[in-house]
Amino acid sequence: MMCRTDQSAPEPGEEQDVDATDAVFTSLLEDSAEELYEQAPCGYLSTLMDGTIAKINTTLLDWLGLERSRVVGRMRFADLLTVGGKLYHETHFAPLLQMKGEVSGIAMDIKTAGKQRMPALVTSKVKTSEDGEPMLIRTTVFDARERRAYEAELLRGRKAAEEARRQAEADRIRLQEALAVLQQSLLPPELPEVPGLETGSYYHTASPDLLGGDFYDLFPVGSGRWAFFLGDVCGKGPQAAAVTSLTRHTLRAAALHDADPVTVLNTLNTVLHDRYTSGDTRYCTAIFGVLEPDDGHFGVHLASGGHPSALIQRADGSADYLPTPGGLLVGVLPQASFTAARARLLPGDTLLLYTDGLTEARTGPDRELYGDDALRAFTAAQPPAGPKALITALSGLLASFGDGLDDDTALLALGVPAALPTPGAKV
Amino acid sequence: MRPLTITTREAVTGPVLEITGDLDHETAPELRKAVDDLTFASGQLLVLDLAGLAFCDSSGISALLSARNLAIEHGGRIALAAVPANTTRILRIVGLDQVFAIHPNAATATARRSAAG
Repeated sequence: MMCRTDQSAPEPGEEQDVDATDAVFTSLLEDSAEELYEQAPCGYLSTLMDGTIAKINTTLLDWLGLERSRVVGRMRFADLLTVGGKLYHETHFAPLLQMKGEVSGIAMDIKTAGKQRMPALVTSKVKTSEDGEPMLIRTTVFDARERRAYEAELLRGRKAAEEARRQAEADRIRLQEALAVLQQSLLPPELPEVPGLETGSYYHTASPDLLGGDFYDLFPVGSGRWAFFLGDVCGKGPQAAAVTSLTRHTLRAAALHDADPVTVLNTLNTVLHDRYTSGDTRYCTAIFGVLEPDDGHFGVHLASGGHPSALIQRADGSADYLPTPGGLLVGVLPQASFTAARARLLPGDTLLLYTDGLTEARTGPDRELYGDDALRAFTAAQPPAGPKALITALSGLLASFGDGLDDDTALLALGVPAALPTPGAKV
Repeated sequence: MRPLTITTREAVTGPVLEITGDLDHETAPELRKAVDDLTFASGQLLVLDLAGLAFCDSSGISALLSARNLAIEHGGRIALAAVPANTTRILRIVGLDQVFAIHPNAATATARRSAAG
């Protein structure tokens, strides 16, 4: 059934309709104020100033499950409340009402049929006589069950959100710890002592959030020989870190089996290619080499897979690349070619391995490529004072690039001290 | 940093992706997706036109290799066209100049169907 409540100016000719509508409208209205009071959608009661109930409507009696005869003149308003409600009424509600003459929208629980509690919103107002004397208290009681349930729902929601936030925070801390441990596992904590060899290394992390893909290591492979490698996994983040870890362990294991540099890189190539052929492809560039002590110097035998050539700083103050052109990025093709080279490190010579963060850095106002030639010139300009001095000079160079250095950079320097006694005596 | 835009067009030889902007860790997945979304027939040539490529890091190189793998999985081939000097230099360092067919521009890449790949 519908009533038209928005009629304003009826069109001519609609008079009949309007009259009919008004008739229906009137019949739908409560026929008396008494009816409205008794069946109102809220509870009404009037009490004397001491709380004794003088009048109560049917709606409230139905909620309470009480007969009118048991209530009127026999019970006080506070008797309708739960123990908690009673206490609150006595300590707050009644004093406030006395002081202000009215109290609005107070949440209290009333006792209903079947000893249930019913959340309610109570509003009371004192009626005064013409000369201002308080006569009685009029009270409305609104059913707040839906509202209370809604509030409980909100509270539950807030608790769940707080719990989720706590959990997320705990997860974040755990993840950060895991990342730190993983990052640490990608680099050797410190290089081992190698008899007759001085070593130096440096690692620059471009972004603390993204696990780097640069790696290096130095370890014994028997018969007084030492293996070393340095490389760079394509990409960043956890997937790159997983490849870095796999690469390091593969290189170490392969070197123990057969330390020939091209053989080792072939093994790594097979491992990376098999693992990463489908879907997410990952590759690395690497130089792997072996140092063999011999009569006061070290023989170097290394191979490169797509990695920038190693640089040798000589005792006489020159610096030259040890070219390994044409070696392919490791893991791309099932059968790849890697380029090997040999050199001798005499006393005062230092072999430098680096990742392309160094040579690809941008310098100056025009952000020009730093490049191979600049690195060779810089190295030749350093006094041949061994790996540690060279690494110190290069880390200073990297720092001077500022934000022109936007990639991770790893440096590994291996050199024969110039101050060795008679060649061949101690190795 | 310049955003990456990838425009796909069809040449007689197969799809041509014009790649403009920075191809790096952030944007590399966009190239992979663009290649994934291609309808690619066996025997076709996928040309990556790099004339507008401003920057390419190792993640970008990985994405180029992903494109190559997908082309080969579909029985096709891949070629790079108009590779900027700096990217050419990096491709040479990592030995990929031996792996990718490289053309001076997209026109020669799509014209030399039989020689590519």
